[in-house]
Amino acid sequence: MMDSLYIAWRYVTWNRGKTLVLIASITLVAFLPLALQALLNESERQLRTRALDTPLLLGAAGSALDLVMNSLYFDDEVPARIDMRAPAVIDDSGLAYPVPLYVRFMARGAPVVGTTLDYFEFRGLQLAQGRQFALLGEALIGAEVASRLGMGVGDSLVSSPDNLFDIAGVYPLKMTVAGVLADSHSPDDRAVFVDVKTAWVIEGLGHGHQDLAKTEDSSVILRQEEGTVTANAKLVQYTEITPENIDSFHFHGSAAGYPLTALLVVPEDDKAAARLRGRFIDDARYQLVRPDTVIDGLMESIFRIKQVIDAVIVIVAIATLLTIVLVFALSLRIRRDELETIFRIGCSRMTTARLLAAEILIIVVASATLCGVLLWLLHVNSAALVQGLILR
Amino acid sequence: MSIECHSRFSLASVIQWVVRWTVCGLLLCTCMSATAADRLVVYTVNYPLAYFAERIGGEHVEVHFPAPSGVDPAFWMPDAETVARYQRADLILLNGAGYAKWVERVSLPQRKLVNTSSPFRDDYITSSDDVTHQHGPGGEHAHAGTAFTTWLDFSQAARQAGQVAMAMKKLRPAHAGVFAENYQRLQRDLLQLDARMLEITSGKPDLPLLASHPVYQYLARRYGLNLRAVTWEPGSYPDASAWQVFKSLQAVHPAHWMLWEDAPVDKTRESLLGSAVNIVVFKPCMNRPAQGDFMTVMQANIKAMAEPFNVPH
Repeated sequence: MMDSLYIAWRYVTWNRGKTLVLIASITLVAFLPLALQALLNESERQLRTRALDTPLLLGAAGSALDLVMNSLYFDDEVPARIDMRAPAVIDDSGLAYPVPLYVRFMARGAPVVGTTLDYFEFRGLQLAQGRQFALLGEALIGAEVASRLGMGVGDSLVSSPDNLFDIAGVYPLKMTVAGVLADSHSPDDRAVFVDVKTAWVIEGLGHGHQDLAKTEDSSVILRQEEGTVTANAKLVQYTEITPENIDSFHFHGSAAGYPLTALLVVPEDDKAAARLRGRFIDDARYQLVRPDTVIDGLMESIFRIKQVIDAVIVIVAIATLLTIVLVFALSLRIRRDELETIFRIGCSRMTTARLLAAEILIIVVASATLCGVLLWLLHVNSAALVQGLILR
Repeated sequence: MSIECHSRFSLASVIQWVVRWTVCGLLLCTCMSATAADRLVVYTVNYPLAYFAERIGGEHVEVHFPAPSGVDPAFWMPDAETVARYQRADLILLNGAGYAKWVERVSLPQRKLVNTSSPFRDDYITSSDDVTHQHGPGGEHAHAGTAFTTWLDFSQAARQAGQVAMAMKKLRPAHAGVFAENYQRLQRDLLQLDARMLEITSGKPDLPLLASHPVYQYLARRYGLNLRAVTWEPGSYPDASAWQVFKSLQAVHPAHWMLWEDAPVDKTRESLLGSAVNIVVFKPCMNRPAQGDFMTVMQANIKAMAEPFNVPH
């Protein structure tokens, strides 16, 4: 057998091109469905873990999936807004406490999550460096953001413009990093956290500017009536909140009308959760969803798509196998003289068959090894791959 | 023999003494650490709330009001380190009614916040005065918006204290009985102040009064005071334009008494006396007083109010 393997080895190494093509084909056919399954399993694990850790989500009536994906995984599809009356509704119920979320803006490619300090306690997030955000304009960054941008406590990052072509739109806000979160292997690692009020400043609902009553530059004043001074667009608004100008920051309009994308609703117990859900069943303004139910629905859809992909892979695998059989059959025809010579020098037909079997064995073993290595690499990086490719 | 017995006796006594005191010390340390751990850490945004919390919580709370003396806590801005201390508290008592604007500019854990004036939020007074001015190291400010000295209506103060008691009871149900008992005592004291103020002011409901600062809106509403305010500071002499405003006001509102947050400088006092206007010091007590406490300051205020209304002390 060793002789057959030796001769087969010499043959496959001599015909490197053909061998490599065969190995690559078999590896891909085996690897693709296994990799797809592994990635889906990891996605399901991550999605479900996060969803199970979040008892209830309150958002505006509309797409439950957008609400969950934006609130749990900071997806850039922004759901319809609710306002600050919603937390009062939950508070007044006495059944749960709300954690506001406003996930709409980006900074250096990371989602800016406007929330309150209760979020960190609820998610059990720990600080790796620095302290919690304390003043308006301060931010906490996730571990991955810190490593990707090479940032730490005291550095600054600027919010991205809401609309590149809206030059008269909201000013970007320069935020100071007050702390860096420890790695949590969750979407929180890829986010920038600010107080929800800072998110409203980014939106332009709150701002700071020079005192109109004391300015010496009359060109910034559009109109001056008794008790009212109206400024024009020349009035300089601060784009960074510092101890020197923080007192000038203020909010306009009623705080009750300020926007949120969702509320994390943390009920006292299962009974409270059930009672609360009952109250929102027929609500026209709000939807109160269980994220795990929404994610189960999403996974069912994904698995239905996977079944189609599996069928396609089976067909491709059959075609590949037929091609391989054809390659071997043609190879036998090309090698007819060589096999005749082997037979004439005294080898039996069985020996010839053994030689061919050894060649196939070498190619299959090489493919299996390569496939195993690739699957191992995939397994090691599956969490990051899923976060980077699927749960972006 | 006797010496040996004596030394043995003495050694046993020493060992016994050491063991006894070590055990006592350990027990005392355990008790103290348990008490400290059990204590509710309360941070407040003004002194009246700190006083209410101290009265209600007693030994079961550790009350902090970190605004430095000499600043107006309503317009104070804490630094990041002080905000971090607020964040670590078990309970943060807010006055509400727009008091302490700095709360809007910092991050505090929502679950720990209690707006003590929320039961009467529909009764907030909207102020129209928007003159910008400055006193103390708190920077320039205006009083436009909602009037915030809610506790100067002592019935409202009692309701605020009620919110403090409720919040404490929720966090430390084991001490609910103590909190309820202490709250009842405080409520009784506050309602006595309320009754006395009503008694004093009911005799002359139309008596024109002036105020040096627009901080007495709730006092005026509750006790039916015919009060108009200017924007003067006790520590500085008003300029000519301020006197002009004062004269115009006096022409339509002939008051002979003026309420001051603190005793004005002598020159102001003399000028006012020259205009037949007497001084009544009625301290809102926003910050911790140098002497006494909230109750003694308010009692002194009420005693001072007896004079313009010609009521015996």
